[in-house]
Amino acid sequence: MSIPFLNQLFSLPSDVISAWILTIIMGAFLTIYVFKKKKWPIIWQFMRTTNHRKIGTLYILFGILFFLRAGIDSLLIRTQLAVPNNDFWVFQGDKYNELFTTHGTMMIFFVAMPLLIGLMNVAVPLQIGARDLAFPFLNAVSFWLFLAGAILFNMSFFFNTAPNAGWTGYAPLSTEVFTPDVGNDYYVFGLQVSGLGTIFFAINMIVTIIRNRAPGMKLTRMPLFPWSSLITSFLMLIAFGVLSIALYLLMFDRMFGTAFFSGNEGSPVYWQHLFWIFGHPEVYILVLPAFGIFSDVISTFSKKRIFGYPAMVVSIALIGFLGFMVWAHHMFTVGLGPMANTFFAITTMLIAVPTGIKIFNWLFTIRGGVVRVTTPMLFALGFIPTFVMGGVTGVMLSVAAANFQYHDSHFVVAHFHYTIIGGTILGIFAGLYYWYPKITGKVLDDKLGKWHFWLFVIGFHLTFLPMHITGLEGMPRRVFTYQWSDGIFLLNLTSTIGAFLMGSSMLFLGWNIYKTHKYGLNTGNDPWNGRTLEWTVRSPSPEHPFEPMPVVREIDPYWYAKVNKRRIRTTANVRPAPISVNTILPVLFAFSLFVISIGMIYTWYWISVIGGTFTFLLLIVRFLNDERKAYYREEHSHE
Amino acid sequence: MKKLVLIPIFLLLTGCEITVLNPNSETGNDQAFLIVFSFALMMIVMTVVVLLFARFVWKYRETDKNRGTIPDDVKGNKKLEITWTVLPVLLLVVLAVPTVAITYEQSPDKSVETQEKATHVEVTAQQFAWTFTYENGKETINQLVIPEGETIVFHLKSKDVIHSFWVPELAGKTDVLPNKELIYEIKDAEIGTYAGKCAEFCGTQHAKMRFTTKVVSEESYNQWLKK
Repeated sequence: MSIPFLNQLFSLPSDVISAWILTIIMGAFLTIYVFKKKKWPIIWQFMRTTNHRKIGTLYILFGILFFLRAGIDSLLIRTQLAVPNNDFWVFQGDKYNELFTTHGTMMIFFVAMPLLIGLMNVAVPLQIGARDLAFPFLNAVSFWLFLAGAILFNMSFFFNTAPNAGWTGYAPLSTEVFTPDVGNDYYVFGLQVSGLGTIFFAINMIVTIIRNRAPGMKLTRMPLFPWSSLITSFLMLIAFGVLSIALYLLMFDRMFGTAFFSGNEGSPVYWQHLFWIFGHPEVYILVLPAFGIFSDVISTFSKKRIFGYPAMVVSIALIGFLGFMVWAHHMFTVGLGPMANTFFAITTMLIAVPTGIKIFNWLFTIRGGVVRVTTPMLFALGFIPTFVMGGVTGVMLSVAAANFQYHDSHFVVAHFHYTIIGGTILGIFAGLYYWYPKITGKVLDDKLGKWHFWLFVIGFHLTFLPMHITGLEGMPRRVFTYQWSDGIFLLNLTSTIGAFLMGSSMLFLGWNIYKTHKYGLNTGNDPWNGRTLEWTVRSPSPEHPFEPMPVVREIDPYWYAKVNKRRIRTTANVRPAPISVNTILPVLFAFSLFVISIGMIYTWYWISVIGGTFTFLLLIVRFLNDERKAYYREEHSHE
Repeated sequence: MKKLVLIPIFLLLTGCEITVLNPNSETGNDQAFLIVFSFALMMIVMTVVVLLFARFVWKYRETDKNRGTIPDDVKGNKKLEITWTVLPVLLLVVLAVPTVAITYEQSPDKSVETQEKATHVEVTAQQFAWTFTYENGKETINQLVIPEGETIVFHLKSKDVIHSFWVPELAGKTDVLPNKELIYEIKDAEIGTYAGKCAEFCGTQHAKMRFTTKVVSEESYNQWLKK
């Protein structure tokens, strides 16, 4: 379809037009709703907040929104692959390539990451007895940078120039010679801006956990979710730095005529090294926080402390460390030679050891306990066999010579969905149901939650179990069609049916949230009979928790206080809380980077200059307004 | 416990005629051996975990009887923890030995490039077609013809982006890079016609970048070359 605009004809395919129409209708409804219910003050409040729970809530809300978008992408992918030689809507060739590129990129960077970071924001400070993150202002900046990056990335589709080189953006396909459209520039700048937010968050989290724990909350008494968040943050700090560098080089290749990844001096394999030195730690960034959530959930609902706590901590650290030593197992077929291939095969196998330790420790936490199967526990229980299935295919993939067959086939697709959905997504759902009362004050409905779980998990296995076989039957990944003669029709059809089952399970989550808000009652501080400090504070968590501050003397302090029928000792002598402010600067800061990026993407450099000037002015404003000054003055006058 | 039901199905299916597990060359057979071997080892792990999981969740579920009880405070168990650290390491050693052996054996060294006994084929990939050049200069497009029972050495090179050369019924894949020639060996292929594919995402028509591979007898190969 062609649309005349500014004396030019713009041709838009029907999927983009439908997206515009849908967005405009939904946007109109949302605006009407906000006006009618007079929600503007709340929105304004959330735009200026620096409170960890509120920022966490924003992360989670937008994570779910992007989950829906990337989920729809996956349903479109599965519809196109339902039957051989299919011609579904427009999704063949480039359109299909855009589909899996956005699906992958969004699920990793704008769904899994913000949902985990959101849960960390909500839970970690409360679990360690911190009154907020160490740098509340920086926390707000991190969130708005993430959102700016995500909006940038999403915008491209509405102008019919979605990125199309895969979420891995392999050069030279991703260089301007082969993909001259601005699509992959959106990819570069979207990830660059949101990646900056992730780095800021990682610094914030590390400092919070090192500096802001409650008195007596030694590292050896810290729950496992903060532990995994701490190690994850170190991984983020290193890995996202590498991604940033890789994206800069790609930007120079695309826009300024350099040849890092092509030509005689450069090599496309350099990109793969850089990308996977980021990319492999990234999958542990995704799964380690989920491990932390499962540890807390399984311990709570088995009524037992975690089995082998020191081994659990050490294995998180080991997984994090080994995560940096295995990147080339994504590159067994690029001709690195037998020396490199066997080295990376063996380091990859080694990761199975700490992971196995964790699995057995979870199993033995359950053993001897009293297992209450609530919705969060159900997700944690579903995780164990599902994730182990992803883990064992991981070991199979590490066998370098055999990997020549698996590589880039649907077997790999099955494997990483087993680990990322079976680990990260189930972990996110467990955490969401578990901490929902701390976020909103209400417990999500258990019955609907169980519907959600069963439909999701059955749909999941239906979708991805057959992919192991289609891969071994010779189906490469990232293909938009296959032939009758390939003999994989029924397996693919099963996958498609499973995908829609998974999709439908999300309706139950939506209905559950609606129902809980309409009819749910406030449940008090401790709905789950919890063990850790977050259950001692009000639900939803107050802006100034821990007054007075608890003094921790053991692991799971709240549980042992309840069991021994005593109160947790408190103290008034604590380090000052991080200072919360109301400020619009973070939003403006993210907006200015957004403007720079738009200017760069379309090479309208004067816009970038305006955006850059704006960023600089905002930095000056920030430097001149230190909220701690007032505090120091007060402190001084006391002396 | 729906997942438990699925595992035997998976097992059953692997017994069936799956392409990669029934390859038609020596190279592919070695790879298939590793796949089946690692799968068998991993099924041991899987079985242990699933059995323990099912038993513990069932045995220790909350009932009316134990609802009010507080379980014993167990911190850990050194012996058990050492067991599930050491056993997996041993299991992985068992897996690592054939992995290293076969990986070394299947990685062609420099001498292969000019090996006299082998049949050499130059493979040139470009968006979205394959060109095969034989020793006497003959060229074919999207159709590969090779003789049975010999060592075939493929010289892989791309004219544009990265592709990957894959005939799943014969053996594994190798990437086809621009500006750098990679070598891949397939040994002892059996007579037949097999589908070949590009396995590395390479652009718009990646899904359609296919070719057919014909493995023919030595005699008819030589005749075909002269035609």
